[in-house]
Amino acid sequence: MRQLVSWVASAAVGFVRACVVVLVSMLVPAVWAAAAGLWIWWWGGNPWAGTAPLLWAGIGTLALSRPVCRMVRSLVAKWTGTVIPAGYRQSAPVVRMSTGYWWNGYSYERTSRDARQDQRMRLWWSDPATWRDLRFAVIAPFTTGVIAAVPPAGAVAAVVGLSHPAASMRLIGVLGVAVAIGAAPYAWRPVGPVAVRFLRPSPAMALADRVDELTAQRADTTVAQAAEIRRIERDLHDGAQARLVALGMSLATVERLMETDPNRAKALLREARSGAATSLTELRDLVRGISPPVLTERGLVDAVRALALDSPLEAAVSADLGLRLDPPIESALYFGVAELLTNAAKHARATRARISIFGGEGPGIVVDVEDDGGGGAGMRAGGGLDGLRRRLAVFDGTLEITSPAGGPTHVRMVVPCESL
Amino acid sequence: MRIVVAEDLYLLRDGMVRLLEAYGHQVVATATTGPETLDALLSRRPDVAVVDVRMPPTQSDEGLRAALDARRRLPGLPILILSQHVEQLYARELLADGAGGIGYFLKESVFDADQFIDALERVAGGGTAMDPAVIAKLLSSGSSNRRLERLTEREHDVLGLMAEGLSNQAIGQRLFLSESAISKYTTSIFGKLGITDDGNNNRRVLAVLTYLNKP
Repeated sequence: MRQLVSWVASAAVGFVRACVVVLVSMLVPAVWAAAAGLWIWWWGGNPWAGTAPLLWAGIGTLALSRPVCRMVRSLVAKWTGTVIPAGYRQSAPVVRMSTGYWWNGYSYERTSRDARQDQRMRLWWSDPATWRDLRFAVIAPFTTGVIAAVPPAGAVAAVVGLSHPAASMRLIGVLGVAVAIGAAPYAWRPVGPVAVRFLRPSPAMALADRVDELTAQRADTTVAQAAEIRRIERDLHDGAQARLVALGMSLATVERLMETDPNRAKALLREARSGAATSLTELRDLVRGISPPVLTERGLVDAVRALALDSPLEAAVSADLGLRLDPPIESALYFGVAELLTNAAKHARATRARISIFGGEGPGIVVDVEDDGGGGAGMRAGGGLDGLRRRLAVFDGTLEITSPAGGPTHVRMVVPCESL
Repeated sequence: MRIVVAEDLYLLRDGMVRLLEAYGHQVVATATTGPETLDALLSRRPDVAVVDVRMPPTQSDEGLRAALDARRRLPGLPILILSQHVEQLYARELLADGAGGIGYFLKESVFDADQFIDALERVAGGGTAMDPAVIAKLLSSGSSNRRLERLTEREHDVLGLMAEGLSNQAIGQRLFLSESAISKYTTSIFGKLGITDDGNNNRRVLAVLTYLNKP
């Protein structure tokens, strides 16, 4: 009984979906049919009567192809969960030059509106995605469109046939019902594979996207690295270096005071010693921030264990990771965990955290950090989590955050295998 | 005392040897790599050894591993670990065998030579000596936080010094209190934490550290 109900439900859903697929994929053929109709209508022995309708049909096809593809993409994503990247070229910003003209990356225009229009046209014309969309708009009706048309056609046959008294027509009606119901759960499905096959970005487009992505990442990395080096320089300059100078001065003074005022000399020596201890503490903190010694000595898992022990949270670590990773990846993941634990303690007011590290195969290396805090963590441009996402992106790694208001927070860092 | 010094940096090794000799101790061997350290520890059987954590050939935790290895073969061999950084993780590994005779210090603890030599002698005598930085981390870590809530601030301080390995007398000197006042505090602490104290200082320190190390 339950099986029957679920089958009926899937047939009903499938029928609706098949109708939607037919509607979307038949938009372009409908334009052509209308043009052909007009041509026949105006036909009066004059073959040139068709020029205007055909021109309109051509323009209509060009204009419709992109919206049709967008709709198919969103339908496939909604129904099957397969996200097909669109791969359209992004427009460069339109800027006003000192001459007062507007530069859109291709040409100078007198007004910003002209510049944008010109840019849109050029982009549209030069974008390989445009031609791919056009190809799909032509292919879709003959593949997925025809198949999806089976259930609606069956339904039409049923309505027409059953309303007719003749026995042969009734038979056609009954057959129509059978076809409509039988094909409904399956007829819409080809839209997925067909869209994936013909709508995904071509290798050239994918490469162009990848180049853009890598260029942006390289710029990010360069900026971050320069900032880090400046921070280290400043810390050394104002910290250890200054303290060593002070130490040298104290010792020089002690040398002089040794005979004349031994008591002050002793006090100065004590001061110098505590100065040296302080500068060592500062240097240790600095080193920890650059490359934690325990990470160098023991690798990621033990370093995270050490981190968990030092954390004010009750943090449990479970790990299943045989191999040592590349130092840059270890470092990125280590600082990621450190940041997440700090966030959990400081912002989410958590008391417990669970860290698990596993991988080496399949998706790559996965690091999960869960806490029992207040949640509400999110990515803000320039924030800590955004920085973490960028550091992982260098290795094609990803950061997933699930943090509903009220908690708990679950963050997953994944670095794919190829970068190991 | 007969001492082995394992340290790969010449300046620090030389300084350490001079310091120890200035206090009338005898350095019987020095080692500069992990395997050398293990060899010296096993063949010389020193009264106590001073061992650096990071050493060649891998520049990872060679020294620490040599020390743990030597103590597995010669249980209770007194070793004081010196490092540029202290980790609870390492402290736990060192204390795990419960045999005593273990010290773990930051290198700059040598700045106060008297206290350093004092700690070294404690380790040689089978006691435990921990850097205040290690104890501070132990006391403030997540699991300790909750369990130590019941202690007063003063008891907290006494517990810390006790965990560093100090005797009641030494704790009294640090806190400017009488020995009997300290023993009142320790009785109260042990009562609150449920640790039994049999009066033996070494066992007491181990009991405290084991308590703090519980996950």
